[in-house]
Amino acid sequence: MSEVYGYQNCVLRLDLTNRKITTEPLNMDWARKYIGCKGLSTKYLYEELEPGIDPLGPDNKLYFTTGPVTGTSVPCSGKLSVTGKSPATGTMCDCSMGGHAAVKIKQAGYDMIVLEGQLDKPGYVLIEDDKVEIIDADDLWGKGSHETEAILAEKYGYDHAIISIGPAGENLCVMSCINSDYYRQAGRGGMGAVMGSKKVKALAIKGTKGVKVPDAKKMVNRVLEFLKEDCLQEDNTYVYDTGTTAFAEGCGDGGIAPYKNFSDTTDPNLDKYNGDVLLEYRVGKRGCGSCGLGCGNFIKWGDAIVEGPEWETMSVAGGNAGACDPEQIIRYNQVADDMGLDTISAGDTLVWAMEMTEKGIHDFGIRFGESDKEVEYLKLMARGEGVGKDLALGVKKCSEKYGGEEFAMHCKGLEFPQYEPRGSWGMALAYAVSSRGACHMTSYMANDEVFEESIPAYSAEGKGEVCYGMAEWNNAKFSMCICDFWATCSYEIMTELLELTTGQKYTLEEFGEVGRRVTHLARAFNNREGFTRKDDSALPERLFTEKLKTGPAAGQVIPREDFESMLDQYYDTLGWTRDGVVPEEILKTL
Amino acid sequence: MKRLKFKKEACIGCQLCAQVCSAMKEGIFCPDKARIGIETYYDKGELRYADNYCILCGICAKNCPVEAITLTDHIEVDEDKCIGCGVCAEKCPKHVVKIREDKAKICDTCGGDPTCVKTCPQNALTFE
Amino acid sequence: MKITITLRGSLTKRFGPWKKKEFEVPDNCTCTEALKSVGIDPDAIPNFGMVVINGMKSKREDRLNPGDELKAWSKITGG
Repeated sequence: MSEVYGYQNCVLRLDLTNRKITTEPLNMDWARKYIGCKGLSTKYLYEELEPGIDPLGPDNKLYFTTGPVTGTSVPCSGKLSVTGKSPATGTMCDCSMGGHAAVKIKQAGYDMIVLEGQLDKPGYVLIEDDKVEIIDADDLWGKGSHETEAILAEKYGYDHAIISIGPAGENLCVMSCINSDYYRQAGRGGMGAVMGSKKVKALAIKGTKGVKVPDAKKMVNRVLEFLKEDCLQEDNTYVYDTGTTAFAEGCGDGGIAPYKNFSDTTDPNLDKYNGDVLLEYRVGKRGCGSCGLGCGNFIKWGDAIVEGPEWETMSVAGGNAGACDPEQIIRYNQVADDMGLDTISAGDTLVWAMEMTEKGIHDFGIRFGESDKEVEYLKLMARGEGVGKDLALGVKKCSEKYGGEEFAMHCKGLEFPQYEPRGSWGMALAYAVSSRGACHMTSYMANDEVFEESIPAYSAEGKGEVCYGMAEWNNAKFSMCICDFWATCSYEIMTELLELTTGQKYTLEEFGEVGRRVTHLARAFNNREGFTRKDDSALPERLFTEKLKTGPAAGQVIPREDFESMLDQYYDTLGWTRDGVVPEEILKTL
Repeated sequence: MKRLKFKKEACIGCQLCAQVCSAMKEGIFCPDKARIGIETYYDKGELRYADNYCILCGICAKNCPVEAITLTDHIEVDEDKCIGCGVCAEKCPKHVVKIREDKAKICDTCGGDPTCVKTCPQNALTFE
Repeated sequence: MKITITLRGSLTKRFGPWKKKEFEVPDNCTCTEALKSVGIDPDAIPNFGMVVINGMKSKREDRLNPGDELKAWSKITGG
């Protein structure tokens, strides 16, 4: 058998129901077609799950997947793919978690870890190269993620990466996340609840085996050139200076920053909590394993401590909540991380609850401006107590129960990221067609429509093709995985990195094909679960009927026929039916 | 004499230094095998820096019972003499000496042009 | 006329370290003309992003008035 490079050629599988731990070779045919991370985990998910299973039942699987470049000196390669069927949406869900777990899992000798079945009582998984154990976690269950990490780091050493869930995941909240390095998350789609349903509290991982490549010295030198000449150019390094706090002002200027539950887009108080204010309290910088850029801002405001906040969090605890208290934003971020709640989903649910209360439709006891109450409500949502019991259901189920569906900002049950689609029409398309519900990561249309201004923001023309182009690029890139923030990383660079790491050649067309394949396959999974055009079209009525009142996008609303035209274009570009279904002739190539 | 210097405020904890060190010296990407061990971690609300790198203090050389280690403008281990006793690793104040396959593995500054320094994306490591 | 030019994103590294400065520019000029007159050519910068007049996204050919703040952004990616 010829030497395998880049990959470890090893999948660690834990049958939790029977407490059986096995390893198996990686499916190298799938690895060739899907590379790793998002693409490869989507393939495993598609092949290993039957349609219609309960995401919180024993038949769901949780995949922690690395890529061939993970664990090498390739910059920005330290992100871990976390994949499963989402309890929030019922679609597939792939998250990308920063920190150091990806590198340590790969260094321990595994391309992928699969959690199957369910433990009969809480446990955590210890992985130290070949040594893999399931250990009792009764004394950790109920604790916040931060206390859990501290206990496990004390016990095993700070050189172990710790992945954990907080009370939100334990209580199967569909907005719960999985945490690592205290402040990094597999945030969206309720992956924390999947882990909680399996009664796995944490994983502690150390790896000492190494990653083999055809010519290590040649690779070090060539990658060094990529690092200095491409990755570290100023187009990417702004992220070290500001993190994503720059988006607060950028989105405000661009007319896409949501205000008071997406009812408008101008926050007159932005300067009270923008990046300039928050970064005054920065005391350190951190990046992921093998990062070159270091986007993490370690901030301390009294006892409010967090590595963050990202723009999304600034918005849900700031302008989108009609609030402007920077200290509460830090606190909100810290508590959400510790409780194991996605700041975006929990935040959108809370600001919806504010509007419901203000409109007198249902009194949730929280109003616009009350970001301190948001912090308290996070704890109630995490533990399913009091008003938190309903709010923990997320904005889709909560609005189905209480009304206010027209302004419940979600697609398929995943709450909106913090970009107002009426200010950037392509974002409506991006949210509609993303494979995990409303998500901006696959096709970040706002980049071209607002920040770059290469295509008009308030028009449907040509949007399908642009949206697909971005999806192809990111789906290939996130299968390497290379972090979003190495924004200039081209197909040329990525195919050369693959050859240096694995010895395998991909032409630029073949690399693009990987992106196309992943886009098709994620959609096929969702089709198989019953998702079609009707679910893409089901965006909140607010976008189609309420005009924005202020800001650069004042007067904008998305005409329904324009939105449907964007969907048509996207489906046509991919060769799907007009009902948004991947046809048989494409399915059999996947 | 030039030595490695580390500016912790600039360090983002990426461990690219250890990645390239192990790749150049051991032919495999493996921070655990590197002759430098810098990482950052959160601990009780603080960001901490583990800064294990060779400062050319020469304590390893002084303590080697078989005189296998010499210090000039860099450390050199004569692997024919080295018996893998581990005293150098024990005495190293920076905890950066590794014993593998019964031999001491110590930073040798890559012939005066350290790869870790060339790589550090935030210039936290310098050679001066 | 006098206007303020503010730099954002990677433009602060390219043209800074100043972030905000007052400049004398031709009366009623366009955003592009104002920037070119101080050595920033949007057409020549591949990563040039949007122009913003007094906090509102604008077009490069929009004209400026005395006392305006013209903000120039590079592209920013992420979330």
